[in-house]
Amino acid sequence: MSQRREQVYEKLDQGGEQERGSVGQALQQTTEEASSLGYGGSVPVGLMVAGMPPVERLHLDHVVQTVCVLESVVLRSFGPEGGQVLFTRDTGQAMLSRSGARILTALRLEHPLARMVVECVLKHSTVTGDGSKTFILLLASLLRMIHKMACKEPNVSHTYTSRQTAEASTARHLADNILAFALEELDDLIAMGVIPYGCCLSWEDFTAKKHLPGPSNNDCVQKLLTSFFHSRLGRSHCDFISKLTCELLTHWKFKRDQPSLSLEFVNDNLDALHTPVSGFPISCSRLIEGQVIHRDFATPCPQTEQKTVKAAVFSGYLQPKLLNAGQVLQLGRGEQWMEENSKNNRSIVQFSAWTERSLECVFANLQSLGVSVILSAVKQSAAVLSLAAQAEMCVVECVSENELSLFAQLSGATPVSDCWMVEPEHVATLTFCRPILLGAHRYVHVAFNDSEERVTVKPCSLVICGLGEGQTDQYTCAFRDAIRMLLSTWEPMGMTATTASKRTLQSTKSTYSHVDQIPNVPPFQQCGLQPGYVIPAGGTFEFLLHHALLQNGTSCSASDDTVTSGLAVSQLLANALLIVPRQIYSHSPRHFLQAQARFQTIIQNHSHPFSLVYKQEHRSIFGESAFPLEEDKLTKHCFTEADVSAKLFMSDSGLESVSCKYQLLLAVLQCLSSILHVDTVLHTHTALHTQSRRLANTSWEDTDDETED
Amino acid sequence: MSRLSKKSPSLCTDLPLDNADICKKLDLLRQLLRSCFGPTGRLKQVHNNIGGHVVTTSTSSVLLPAISSSQPFINLIKTSILNHVSRFSDCGLFAAILCLSLIEQAKQSGLRGNVAIRVNKHLLGLCTSYLQGEDCGCKVKLDFCSSQSLITLARSVISSKPTCVLTEPETLHISRLAVQAFLLTVPCSSPGIVSLGKIVTVSVEGHGVLNSTVFPGVLLDMPDVFTIDKVENLPSDALRMVLFSASLAGDLSELGDGIIELHPGVDTDSQILDQLLELGKQVVKDEVKLFVCQKVIHPVMQQYLRGHGIIVIERLGITLMEPLTQLTGAQPVATLHTTIPAKAYGRVRDLSIRTFGSKTMLHLHPPGECAICTMILCHRNETMLSELKVVCQKTEHVLRLTLREPSALLGGGCTETHLAAYIRHKSMNEIPETVSALGCSQTECLLGVEGFCRSLEAVAAALEHDGGSSLMDLTHAHHWSHPADVLTEHMGDNLGSCGCGLVESSPNQKWTYLNSNYPQFSPAPLSEDASVQPHVLDSFTAKLNALQVAVETANLALDVRYLIQDVN
Repeated sequence: MSQRREQVYEKLDQGGEQERGSVGQALQQTTEEASSLGYGGSVPVGLMVAGMPPVERLHLDHVVQTVCVLESVVLRSFGPEGGQVLFTRDTGQAMLSRSGARILTALRLEHPLARMVVECVLKHSTVTGDGSKTFILLLASLLRMIHKMACKEPNVSHTYTSRQTAEASTARHLADNILAFALEELDDLIAMGVIPYGCCLSWEDFTAKKHLPGPSNNDCVQKLLTSFFHSRLGRSHCDFISKLTCELLTHWKFKRDQPSLSLEFVNDNLDALHTPVSGFPISCSRLIEGQVIHRDFATPCPQTEQKTVKAAVFSGYLQPKLLNAGQVLQLGRGEQWMEENSKNNRSIVQFSAWTERSLECVFANLQSLGVSVILSAVKQSAAVLSLAAQAEMCVVECVSENELSLFAQLSGATPVSDCWMVEPEHVATLTFCRPILLGAHRYVHVAFNDSEERVTVKPCSLVICGLGEGQTDQYTCAFRDAIRMLLSTWEPMGMTATTASKRTLQSTKSTYSHVDQIPNVPPFQQCGLQPGYVIPAGGTFEFLLHHALLQNGTSCSASDDTVTSGLAVSQLLANALLIVPRQIYSHSPRHFLQAQARFQTIIQNHSHPFSLVYKQEHRSIFGESAFPLEEDKLTKHCFTEADVSAKLFMSDSGLESVSCKYQLLLAVLQCLSSILHVDTVLHTHTALHTQSRRLANTSWEDTDDETED
Repeated sequence: MSRLSKKSPSLCTDLPLDNADICKKLDLLRQLLRSCFGPTGRLKQVHNNIGGHVVTTSTSSVLLPAISSSQPFINLIKTSILNHVSRFSDCGLFAAILCLSLIEQAKQSGLRGNVAIRVNKHLLGLCTSYLQGEDCGCKVKLDFCSSQSLITLARSVISSKPTCVLTEPETLHISRLAVQAFLLTVPCSSPGIVSLGKIVTVSVEGHGVLNSTVFPGVLLDMPDVFTIDKVENLPSDALRMVLFSASLAGDLSELGDGIIELHPGVDTDSQILDQLLELGKQVVKDEVKLFVCQKVIHPVMQQYLRGHGIIVIERLGITLMEPLTQLTGAQPVATLHTTIPAKAYGRVRDLSIRTFGSKTMLHLHPPGECAICTMILCHRNETMLSELKVVCQKTEHVLRLTLREPSALLGGGCTETHLAAYIRHKSMNEIPETVSALGCSQTECLLGVEGFCRSLEAVAAALEHDGGSSLMDLTHAHHWSHPADVLTEHMGDNLGSCGCGLVESSPNQKWTYLNSNYPQFSPAPLSEDASVQPHVLDSFTAKLNALQVAVETANLALDVRYLIQDVN
């Protein structure tokens, strides 16, 4: 059995070392090799009944190899020593990325199983914005563990015809067990074994950062973002970008609102809120007050010395279109007809004269309202521009819908739909409206008057500078995902009924009894995962959960009937988790062992009530910065644990969100069980490519059902 | 349907910087760009495989887009540099050579990618803070009281483009014109926000470069020579003019998508023409002397207006609209049915006819102080003329950058050598702090510093193309070049002065060859001698950004661990 594992690793190495070639080829090779090794393999096409699609039996080895090849690609950009992946789009544009999701999509894989995995990753990362590289790593690690175990005990049941089927069924069984275990117990385990070492980010503290000198929660948010950007953009710029993101969020917070609302607002409007500028180093990125409308003035912008500028938003044409499609204008009917209908009797010149006159009325109305800026969603006629210039108004044409809706939200003015009915409520008051030169383009820069409801919000836009379009794109993606990550950090996770009922049971368990004794952990933290928890980065989560799982395994063996499965499952999961810190410290294995030893001591020390320890630690760490909070307030936030551990951690370690990690783990386990349920791949041949594309686009659950027997 | 095809899997390369093919390509690119650098740079002829137009150039903004590579690595560097050039118009080759040298040095030093990146970033921080600081030894404050330093700056830009084929007096003439035009675009007395004017460039082929001139105001093409005599009869006080942005050809564009049914006997054309002539009557009544339209004017209308002694200019084009509105204060009119309001009319002080070779042009003099000027560029043939036009636009941009930051850096390679000496000295003195801040060993740090300084020196050395050797003096750390064919006992005898012209050689000075080992020293500041002016100056803003772009691009390239090429 170990021989086979070696083959897997050899293949893995080949996948990593090959100089040039596609991952798709590597995947192809692995499956061919596996089938030629005599494990059943694919049925020769010639032997099949005509019309039947070629069938490829999928074995555990194939699955493991496939995922390992993906892992070898992702590993290049994983961890603190990881680098960027340069890829070209089909348009020839060169892009850089460290985002796992982006790398995996760029591979354009053909192997159905690999595509299924990639789809799972994409699904996960669109929700949480993070964790796609870890996803592949964990999946590969779990698969290897399961493979190992399945190979050890293939003869559990004698009803299976071959060893491969027996292995496959053991693996499937294991995966289901792990998933079931995780769904039921994982949140409790995290709550007990990980959360006490983390700290809670509260939105109020983050937003109120200006009143608190010294280390505050804002630092925590920034640290969280720093480690996120470290994994996405590399070490050199993560501090700068995370500071910028924090500033942006502080400007955009809505007081008295849920944090998620504010984050969702930024997430929804990020397109309108950012301006990519290429040709400058990233350090030129900055926040600017107000909103940037990504269009230039269509008329020369008059420089006014006025304090405020009034603007109106138009969604349609100002000059009326007399003839809409389908309407017919008849010119030059006979004399009698002219008398009957005197309106339509004269030359075409009068029609255009009429439209111009109506336009003049509109402008007279606008002037009486004091409007000097017109924002328009469409391109206006030359007459409009000329009349606007004569009325000393400036016009901005073809403003995108997103930007207009953001403008309407921020200014409180409603867009004008009927240009003969412009009322004062359609007029927005701006503090200024001026051209701004960003990179190669001249845009319109507006700032809003402070209104009642926006006292706390200072509208600002983000200017993202990069060397080229590829880089600004990368930074924008990272920004978007960072906001998503924060959103899922604060997302409340529903508590299941089973976890509530288990509460009583757990209090009797000796292992966790100390948790209940901790005086400074508010009671709610013990039931389920509260939103906003973070834990030091660098493998802490994995180490702690590893420990908790092992503990759980031993306690299970004492009380439960299903000794073997429970023990096996939690041990397997515990060992699989260690791949993450192992890869983080991959540049020197010594560091990994050191880190592991360090955590052991922390965990042991932590089993005592640590409020006393904390006070001493606290003084020693933050002694110089005069932390101005009172004692009881301190204990409410779980700074304690973070500080205790932070001392022992690497000084530059950032933070990670616990809930993101939890969601990631669940997603990996779901993906694992679903890929192990596939046993056959049917290669169908369709005349039309569209159909095959459609099939590829259907979600993996569907393919799962189809291929399962 | 048939267009849909299966996407083929991407092509992957692991650890691209270890790949021999890619390294060879990078080296080739470096050699190519290096040979174009500076006033004595070699020209490159670009011609495509289907027998298209042959381009002769040494400018990065023309050369780099012509280099097309299937290698995304090359494209990454190329786009970075091009983006810099499109923002700052200068120092493109500097950035490219520095970036490629940094990559090469990092590879040679054998440092781990992450360490090299961190050291580079740290040293870039040192460079930028030194350059922006007050006591920077290679920075010169620009004096706007005299045009001398501006002309030097312009001349450095123009002389670094050998494709223009300019003699020494011609270079000086063009530099003066560029500065004159630039100064004309800066409004003299406008409080508050200053908006710069515009230079309209007109190129005339077949004349000597020394015939190039600059005029305040706008020059418009005058195809109809027969109106000339009338111009001369015009009174030379303020003339009224009108500017139309809508077409006056007799079409109606804003009617909508509906259908128009015409019945026999209806002549819409004449109806519209009647309307146009109504407009003409008003113009004549309002004593307009100049009638300009962005688009086409109906011939009958033109005839009518000319008959009333009005100068008519049609098909002006969109580019001249804005300068013309600024010059005359006219507001473009696009309505045909309403009377033209009095404030829409513009004013011109004077009109005159100017002839340049085959071109006859109408010169519109501004009524008051105005920031619009026209530059007439003459050159002997088309290629040189188009290059000269590009160069003048770049010079204008570089001069504009000085308004934001009124400084310049010493040219001729002196800034690079000075900076390298400073970085060496500074980082040696602060090595313990640096090592702890970067989290690397002292050896790694020293290797990184050496690579960075050598890359800077390599840029200075790239200015030399004739086999001569590049030197650096050990007091001020300026750059000197030593011709290859001169053999002398003492090195200082025929060195003359340094690259920027600030330091004269003296017998007790010591020199070292670039890219050789020398003991680190603190470069001494120059004595404040107002009589010695630098001969070569580089744009401060452009060079600073180029430095940042080069280091950041090199860092990006060093960070790449995997290549995925979509081959669809």
